[in-house]
Amino acid sequence: MSALRRTWSLVDGPLTAAVVALIGLGLLNLYSATRVAPKGMFSSQLMWIAIGLVLLVGVAVLDQQLLKRLAWPAYLGVTGLLVAVLLVGKVVNGSRRWFGWGSYGIQPSELMKLSLILLGAHLFSSDPQGLVHRPWRYVLKWHALWIVPALLILKQPDLGTALLCGLLALSLFFLVPLPPKLKLWVFSVGLSGAFLVVRFGLKEYQKKRLLTFLHPELDPTGTGYHARQALFAIGSGRLFGKGYLRGTQNHLQFLPEHWTDFPFAVWAEEWGLCGCLLLLACFLFLILWTLHIASACRDRFGRYLVLGCAALLFWHVTINIAMVIGLAPVVGVTLPLVSYGGSSVLTVMAALGLVYNVSARRFPL
Amino acid sequence: MKPFRRSKLHFDLRIGLTTSLAPSSASSGEPNATSLRAPLPLRIAVCVAVVAFLGLAGRLVQLQALLGDDYLQRSTNNFIRERELEAVRGQIRDRRGEVLADNRPTFHVYATPRYVSQVTLGRLARLLKLSEEQREALAKKLGSKRGGEASKQVLVAEDISRDQLAALESEKDLLPGIDIEARTRRVYPQKATAAHLLGYLNMAGPEDLKRGYKHGDYVGRSGLEQKLEQKLRGSPGFERIFVDAHGRRKSENELGKMAQLAPQEMRRDPQPGLTAVLTIDLDLQHIVEEALSRHASAAAAVVEADTGRVLAMASYPSPDPNLLGGRLTRGEAQRLESDPFRPLLDKSLRETYYPGSTFKIIPALAALEEGLIDPDQKQVCYGRYELGRHVFRCMKAHGPVPLHEALSQSCNVYFYHLAEKVGLERMARWAERFGFGQPMGLGLGEASGFVPTLDYYKQHGGFRGGYALNTALGQGAVRASVLQLAMAYAALGNGGKLYQPMLVERLETPSGDSVEQFAPQLRAQLPILPSSLERLRRALVDVVADHKGTASTAFIEGLDVAGKSGTAQVRKNRRGESSGWDQLNDHAWFVGYSPSRNAKIAVAVLIEHGGLGGHVAAPTATRIIQGYFDRIDPEHKPRPIAEGPAIKLRTTLPASAGAR
Repeated sequence: MSALRRTWSLVDGPLTAAVVALIGLGLLNLYSATRVAPKGMFSSQLMWIAIGLVLLVGVAVLDQQLLKRLAWPAYLGVTGLLVAVLLVGKVVNGSRRWFGWGSYGIQPSELMKLSLILLGAHLFSSDPQGLVHRPWRYVLKWHALWIVPALLILKQPDLGTALLCGLLALSLFFLVPLPPKLKLWVFSVGLSGAFLVVRFGLKEYQKKRLLTFLHPELDPTGTGYHARQALFAIGSGRLFGKGYLRGTQNHLQFLPEHWTDFPFAVWAEEWGLCGCLLLLACFLFLILWTLHIASACRDRFGRYLVLGCAALLFWHVTINIAMVIGLAPVVGVTLPLVSYGGSSVLTVMAALGLVYNVSARRFPL
Repeated sequence: MKPFRRSKLHFDLRIGLTTSLAPSSASSGEPNATSLRAPLPLRIAVCVAVVAFLGLAGRLVQLQALLGDDYLQRSTNNFIRERELEAVRGQIRDRRGEVLADNRPTFHVYATPRYVSQVTLGRLARLLKLSEEQREALAKKLGSKRGGEASKQVLVAEDISRDQLAALESEKDLLPGIDIEARTRRVYPQKATAAHLLGYLNMAGPEDLKRGYKHGDYVGRSGLEQKLEQKLRGSPGFERIFVDAHGRRKSENELGKMAQLAPQEMRRDPQPGLTAVLTIDLDLQHIVEEALSRHASAAAAVVEADTGRVLAMASYPSPDPNLLGGRLTRGEAQRLESDPFRPLLDKSLRETYYPGSTFKIIPALAALEEGLIDPDQKQVCYGRYELGRHVFRCMKAHGPVPLHEALSQSCNVYFYHLAEKVGLERMARWAERFGFGQPMGLGLGEASGFVPTLDYYKQHGGFRGGYALNTALGQGAVRASVLQLAMAYAALGNGGKLYQPMLVERLETPSGDSVEQFAPQLRAQLPILPSSLERLRRALVDVVADHKGTASTAFIEGLDVAGKSGTAQVRKNRRGESSGWDQLNDHAWFVGYSPSRNAKIAVAVLIEHGGLGGHVAAPTATRIIQGYFDRIDPEHKPRPIAEGPAIKLRTTLPASAGAR
């Protein structure tokens, strides 16, 4: 009994509340969104959530020393997978992202997000003195380490995930205690680099997406059609929404693939501004609470781990919603716990598992 | 050491995060709370997250609270497709209800490019039996539509056959994005009969679209179809249906509560157009057109003398209006346009000619009414008349003739003398009283013709005496249309009442209830003494009935006709003589009324380049008049014995070769 109670006391209450709420809202919304989808999507999402919860608990109870030891092998292994997927991966919608087994598949690019968090936490925590005295070494090392897999992902091509890996790595870089001048310098170099990538490194369809976002009226291939339909869906929800299961944009299929990239539009249409603000509040609370756990953590490795997870959640949520409401170009970034898909669910669950892991060890045991 | 100092600063700056958001950590009894203060980057991260989410929330407020109604409208428009319900165009009927213009259902095939796959296209091509080329052209046409254009319907096949319709209907479910639309098409069951009068329709152009027409609508382009467009057209209704993003129709049941977002009015029935009942008598129209068809190019009008109702009006040759309005190939259209007989021109209304001797009634009446001549005084005709250095000729030397013979035998010399007495101005005034040179007010684009005045000649190179002589003979600058002459002679026949020509008797609803009834419009009661009219009448009767009359060859036993022939000279400088008829030949006229007392009808006949009016046009006119009294109005057929002196039974043979 007391062991159970002791275990329970290690579980972070507010974090759990936020996660449960988001899983619940996500499933509620996905039920509506997948009504017009191929059969079995909702139940398969249920399965992924279940598997994800097991994964979450599994990650939460892992020994942090083991995590530290895993950081490098995981990074190297996933990078190897990224190379392999470029060679032998399954082509879906014109990009090579998947290893497939039957109808299930795995995207190594998703694993890379977690692997980068792990590696970053390990790298910046292993030698605090070195971080202070030889910051340049860490800067160069870290940027080299994330740019390589990001480029491999970009090559697939998967702009969304590559962008996310970059943002994740830069966020972590920003949050660790390095001299501010150094950070400033790196960001200005990075921005110019990003400009060069956009100018010369993007595939034609990616450029078109960007172009369509900047000038929707051009709309050379109808790419803007989907984004516009999403806006119609959101706007038409008005203050209180059209009601659950009554979104016309969703149920009459004016929203394409809305269960993966555009579930927020479905939510907005059926629940209106009130529902949207509720969902945003849940996400904001989750992110701020994660940041709180990080600030409360006295162990550097754990803190950076949680900061990485917070960054992951933050960028996923903001980029996804921003693109759905027409503030960002349409790139394939999912909405955590709301979007359909095993890769997305498992990645987020594993990240949350890390947060739980750290939150349970805030105080030296 | 700089880096170290920074690092220290890093930890020294504090934030209330732990206390504001995390009472649990404070209450957990951790003694060393000060070391838990958040570093600067973390505080910045918190700010970034909050600001980013506020930004998202702001955008949502904009989209949902401020622009929400607009977007709701757009999302509703997405799944509601409005289909126009065509209003059936009103029929055009003759005075007895015979249908002159009708509608028949046709079926058109439309494709919405966004929803049409290659498979569908192949199936459609097979069902419609399209050739490989047609199929590729169609695929190209559909493939070229992008963005919003791809959601608009494209016409694939027009007026498909019953078999094709059946084939498409049976596989309708396998043809997403293909729609069959029923529309009516205007048909003219009488084919070319009264074609110019009826006019035709064609597809609405850019100008019409600005006036409230839609793509695919047909608009009246000439004749009554154009004039009565607003009455015949009716007003379209609409039907709104639910569709999903793939263009598949959804029932209200399938939509459930979502259907409540739709507007209340899901259907509005179209208002059919009004039926126009004309004054035209189809039987008489047939008689007239049959009579005209014996010539190469001709026009005629028959009006009811005492009301101005147009009973028949024709221009020959005429095209079949079923083929007009964009249904001709380019070659066929060009052939119609370059045809020397000008089938596209309505010669009864829209073209003017020299009236020739038919105009002589004007100087005759002017002289009689203003007391300028003694009608019984004779003028000697030697066949020529000299004015200055000019010589004006007559057909032959008539010898001494009074007004009566001068009219019945059409002596020009008599009228040269007369014209000198009457003068141009008086003739012009009398011509205008009879409606010459004036618009007729039909609204069918009819020509007004022209009557020259002194002013006119002064502005055009000066007046010379010869002009008055020419005018008296209906030459020079006088122009008149066939219908104008018919109306003028109707006024002679009815005691001096000039009517406005009338074509539409009434407008009815499709079920036959009268909506608007039109009454004859008297334009003017002309100030003519009955004695003058009677004198003229007798002379005009002898044009046909007397064996010396110019139209004596057209005499028909038992028919009481008063009329005047005319042989209008053609301008000799006309171009294009290769057309297989003699374009230098004169236009032949005959205008008259019957019976000569209490006229029922007035008739004007023009045979283009027909030659002598009395020989060519008059028999056509009398045939029409005979047809009218035999088949249309036998009650009023004059009985020759009882009428006595009005009709001279011919005892002598007509002079051979006529008056020449």
